[in-house]
Amino acid sequence: MKVMLLGMSHRTAPVEVRERFAVSQAGPVLRKLIDRPEIEEAVLLSTCNRVEVVVTTPNPDAAQHVLLDFFLRELADERVPRDLSLSRVTYVRQGRDAIEHVFRVASAIDSMVLGEPQILGQVKDAYREASEVGACGAVLSRLFQRAFATAKRVKNETGVAQRPVSVARIAVDLARQIFETLDDKAALMIGAGDMIEAALAALGDQGLGTRRVVNRTAAHAEALAIRFGGTAHGLDELDAVLADSDVVLSCVGGETPILDRERVERSLARRRGRPLFLIDIGVPRNVDPAVHEIDSAFLYDLDDLQEVAASNEQERRRESDRAERIVSEEYQRFDGWLVALQAVPTIRHLKHRAETIRRAEIERFTGRLGLDESQVEGVEHLTRSIVNKLMHAPISRLRDETDREAGLARLEEARALFALDDLDAPGAHLDGDLEATLTDALDRADASEGAQEPDRAEASGGIDEARETGRVTDDERREGS
Amino acid sequence: MILFEQIAAALYLAAGLGALLGLAMPEPRILRGARVGLALGAVAQLLALATLHRLDPAPRLTDLDLAVAFTAWVGVLLFLALSMRYRLPGFVPPLAFVAFLAAFGTTLRPPRPRMGGEGRLLEVAGASGSLPHAHVLLASAGLAALGIAGLAGLFFLLEHRALKRRRSLRRRIPLPSLEALDRVNRVALALGFSLLTVGVVTGALWLESQSGRFWSGTHHEIWTAIAWGLYLGLVVLRFGGRQGPRQAAASAVAGFVFLLFAVLGVGMLS
Repeated sequence: MKVMLLGMSHRTAPVEVRERFAVSQAGPVLRKLIDRPEIEEAVLLSTCNRVEVVVTTPNPDAAQHVLLDFFLRELADERVPRDLSLSRVTYVRQGRDAIEHVFRVASAIDSMVLGEPQILGQVKDAYREASEVGACGAVLSRLFQRAFATAKRVKNETGVAQRPVSVARIAVDLARQIFETLDDKAALMIGAGDMIEAALAALGDQGLGTRRVVNRTAAHAEALAIRFGGTAHGLDELDAVLADSDVVLSCVGGETPILDRERVERSLARRRGRPLFLIDIGVPRNVDPAVHEIDSAFLYDLDDLQEVAASNEQERRRESDRAERIVSEEYQRFDGWLVALQAVPTIRHLKHRAETIRRAEIERFTGRLGLDESQVEGVEHLTRSIVNKLMHAPISRLRDETDREAGLARLEEARALFALDDLDAPGAHLDGDLEATLTDALDRADASEGAQEPDRAEASGGIDEARETGRVTDDERREGS
Repeated sequence: MILFEQIAAALYLAAGLGALLGLAMPEPRILRGARVGLALGAVAQLLALATLHRLDPAPRLTDLDLAVAFTAWVGVLLFLALSMRYRLPGFVPPLAFVAFLAAFGTTLRPPRPRMGGEGRLLEVAGASGSLPHAHVLLASAGLAALGIAGLAGLFFLLEHRALKRRRSLRRRIPLPSLEALDRVNRVALALGFSLLTVGVVTGALWLESQSGRFWSGTHHEIWTAIAWGLYLGLVVLRFGGRQGPRQAAASAVAGFVFLLFAVLGVGMLS
């Protein structure tokens, strides 16, 4: 079983390609995907910047073909060009690369805007949707839980998400350098174009109490004011509303500045020294740069904000090295769990073999010794106790090894030492009834063992989790028998 | 008393270092811890001041070391009260280090009754009674409040400069907002000037009770009167709406430097 993913993102495909593969409902297509024998579990993440399918598969080569086919048949809409070479706009990751990629995506290290907060919610939604349709089993459940934990660590332990990089967030952060709180402050938007609309949307939850929109065309101002909850004004009211506003965002057309120094000074005189924060994102500029020379006026234009954005982006990139270390640490933890998971079939096989031998020997000697019922019960108890005690140490060693190389080597050793792959070894064959009885007994023993040791190390917790899902248990049974 | 002062000094030092670390990282939890350290230091210093009365005979608050320690303690209390309303993390390091030096200075030269050649107390004329204590306590509290106003003014000027140079967002140390600094400046100025005025009045009454005159023309009186007059002018300008926030901040810094010189510097020089 291997984790792998196939996807396309802003790094490999332009938006006009990505949008052709975006899906709004992942559930139905995921059901079709996990019906394929090459795919055991699957999660589909579809955002405006990426479309990715994460799967577990016993056969990565076959799964890759299945996933390419899945992209073309189930995800692509009818507008996808016939000559599109999917392999040129997609990427495939396997094993460690795939696992770390999922951690990076959830932590927004792989995002177009490094550290952006939306992606984690989108990954959680994708995971939830896959779980709801039963496409997410033990391994991907564990993988995504670790991805969420990784994202939390990256957010808390690094500065990747701390410094704002969008113009609206930078403007809000700047406003907070000037004003103690934004709740009782009034925002004035000059213009009603796309930039103002985007800024109003971005400022939506930032607590600016009053919003006013001033525009040459009153109807446009009114439409925005209604949509974002504010009041609309004509340009003739600009002086009046300017004096009552604390944050001004301007983006209108025109060759000459709409706010010159005299106009701002007049309004500041009516504000009794209260500061005024102006953001000019118009090109050409809407606010005379000389306004910044006034003591209580702070003017930032698009270049200033973009310079800050670039500087913050650079700072985030520096922090991403620390984030990568966290991703690597979390991979090690997840891999330890995977190694422990791989020990499950061997452990069950070992227990099965021991129990088979024990039962066969009891069968052989019970009749010969002429034991009564209570004596048989005593012998049962005695032999089971001996077997359990003998098996305890090797099973613990197999279960608790979390280093991949050492774990796999130990599994090999155990299989060789106990001749688990030798079909002629004692206890390798059973009749059907005894097989069923043994499987039930082992399940009961495992269940009671789990109940007795609820806070076992994480690795064995993973094994318990795997058993609960049934998928791994089926594998174990196949291999065990 | 010395033990409590030592504890207070240690807590102030830890708070100052913690705040520096918290600002550099920046880490809000460390900053909160530093503020708690400052509050604990203030509690320890309160215990130290409270135990003064248990000494027999009690040392006088007119001792310079004690007056400075008391001033720092009031400054810390005022800061803690203001920080419940405003975000003022940048204030902790300077305030904590001043409080540390004040408390540490007291531990180096513990206040004790000065002994004369024959083993009797050397009595300073008129330094006992309620008026001298009221004068020292009120004037020290006023000095502390005006010190906070000056600190707020200094931070305002730094922040204003950073915003004007458009460098505010590039530095990592979170300074309080201009609005908060301006409000702290106003509150501290109003409180400090009121306390200083009552301190000056009680000082004049103390002098009158000793010499029958309200004014004796010493350097201390002359410079303190000039400083008070200066602050009166600042208060009139500030609350009369004739001074912008930046001018008010610069005035608060300059006024406090002058006041320090008038109250402490002149006394040391003369």
